[in-house]
Amino acid sequence: MKLELGYIQINDIQFSKECKVENSTLFVDPDAVKAFMYEDDDVKAWVKDFSFDVAKPGESVRITPVKDVIEPRVKVEGPGGVFPGVISKVDTVGSGKTHVLRGMAVVTAGKIVGFQEGIIDMSGPGADYTPFSKLNNFVVVAEPAEGYQDHKHEYEHAVRIAGLRAATFIGEIGRNVTPDETQEFETLGIKEGIEKYPDLPRVAYVHMLQTQGLLHDTYVYGVDAKRTLTTILNPTETMDGAIISGNCVSACDKNTTYHHLNNPVVKALFAAHGKTLNYVCNIITNENVYLADKQRSSDWSAKLCRLLDLDGAIVSQEGFGNPDTDLIMNTKKIELQGVKTTIITDEYAGQDGKSQSLADADPLADAVVTGGNANEVIILPKMDKVIGTLDYVDVIAGGHAGSLRPDGTIEAELQVITGATNEMGFNCLSAR
Amino acid sequence: MVKEIERAGIPVVHMCTVTPISMTVGANRIVPTIAIPHPLGNPALSPEEEKALRRKLVERALEALTTEVEDQTIFEV
Repeated sequence: MKLELGYIQINDIQFSKECKVENSTLFVDPDAVKAFMYEDDDVKAWVKDFSFDVAKPGESVRITPVKDVIEPRVKVEGPGGVFPGVISKVDTVGSGKTHVLRGMAVVTAGKIVGFQEGIIDMSGPGADYTPFSKLNNFVVVAEPAEGYQDHKHEYEHAVRIAGLRAATFIGEIGRNVTPDETQEFETLGIKEGIEKYPDLPRVAYVHMLQTQGLLHDTYVYGVDAKRTLTTILNPTETMDGAIISGNCVSACDKNTTYHHLNNPVVKALFAAHGKTLNYVCNIITNENVYLADKQRSSDWSAKLCRLLDLDGAIVSQEGFGNPDTDLIMNTKKIELQGVKTTIITDEYAGQDGKSQSLADADPLADAVVTGGNANEVIILPKMDKVIGTLDYVDVIAGGHAGSLRPDGTIEAELQVITGATNEMGFNCLSAR
Repeated sequence: MVKEIERAGIPVVHMCTVTPISMTVGANRIVPTIAIPHPLGNPALSPEEEKALRRKLVERALEALTTEVEDQTIFEV
């Protein structure tokens, strides 16, 4: 399967009645975005209103609480559309051509369910820990409709859909724009791959998806991944939005939709594909809260690795705590099939870094890349402007009573920062 | 906590959902429970069924507590 990505560089965002891309500036009409979001019945039912803002790199701006970060894309050739099964109809994506509005993102923010998490600082020390401080962000702040308290999950769903719709609307603006740069990605069928690269090791990416429920969910072609069995994806499918994020709690190591679209493991494996290895496919597997599910899903990961005659697998985790067991079960079982593994995780080693990093371990998990210690404490300066609200800073994971100090500064663990210890290795705390 | 209490000479049953972690940290008597968000209950059941489930789990734990073990043991329910 072959996909061409056409990157349209966006260096600035301006509100305007006319929607267009000109000289790397996105001109967008927030009223038109709002109207497109409200075409969805669930958004209509549960979101009272949206407000819009733009946050640019280097500004004294804090965005919190963050729900999702999404890169606008549009399918210009080939079957299907972006976010299949959610925004576009179900159709296999990952081939043809897709335009990407690079250098920007749609960020959804605002109160979701009780407390909610994630901080993006556009400048200062916090900005160094989140990749989204480097983007021009079109921020959508949602306000719940009356009576949402008894329908929090419906509201969460509505805001998730609203963000994807905003990104889809903006992506569409790039449909007829000539990309600044194009790049091709292709993986082969099993037999084809063996014939073309007979001497290269066969490597797959075992991509673990957070599926614990209660704001810890991931969707694949619109299907709630906790109700799926471990399965196979063409890597290029992820670039068209086959996987979307439904989770933002403990924001440092949850994969936003932006991460799924720009998965660095996929990118790195493609860079080595045909040179030092044969990138076979992605294996997606979930992280459920029942032990039987953990056992079944990891059994299937190992079984698929064997069926595909792999030599090696990269395993990335999402989240921490009991998913450490999913990680170790996957790794151990895959290794026992004779397939070498390297795992990517992060650490909860205490504020002094002296505690055990993972809740589970095994001698077979002997090649580990870490995204950093999420318990590390950071002081964030006061920002001139807050998009969203600071109401939840004291109660989010990584915060504590008094996190938000009277002078407006915040003392908290890295956990609070969106994407800080990302376990796809998106960030630069350690290995990259 | 399990290990510290046992070190003081009092036997402990660790009731938990993710038994592999319990094995890794060294609990000796382990009773597997329902799910991580609700280890000792199941919201999908009726109150009567749930009460029966809870009783079964607690009785199994008490049985484990009074059973001699040579090695780390999982007491399936």
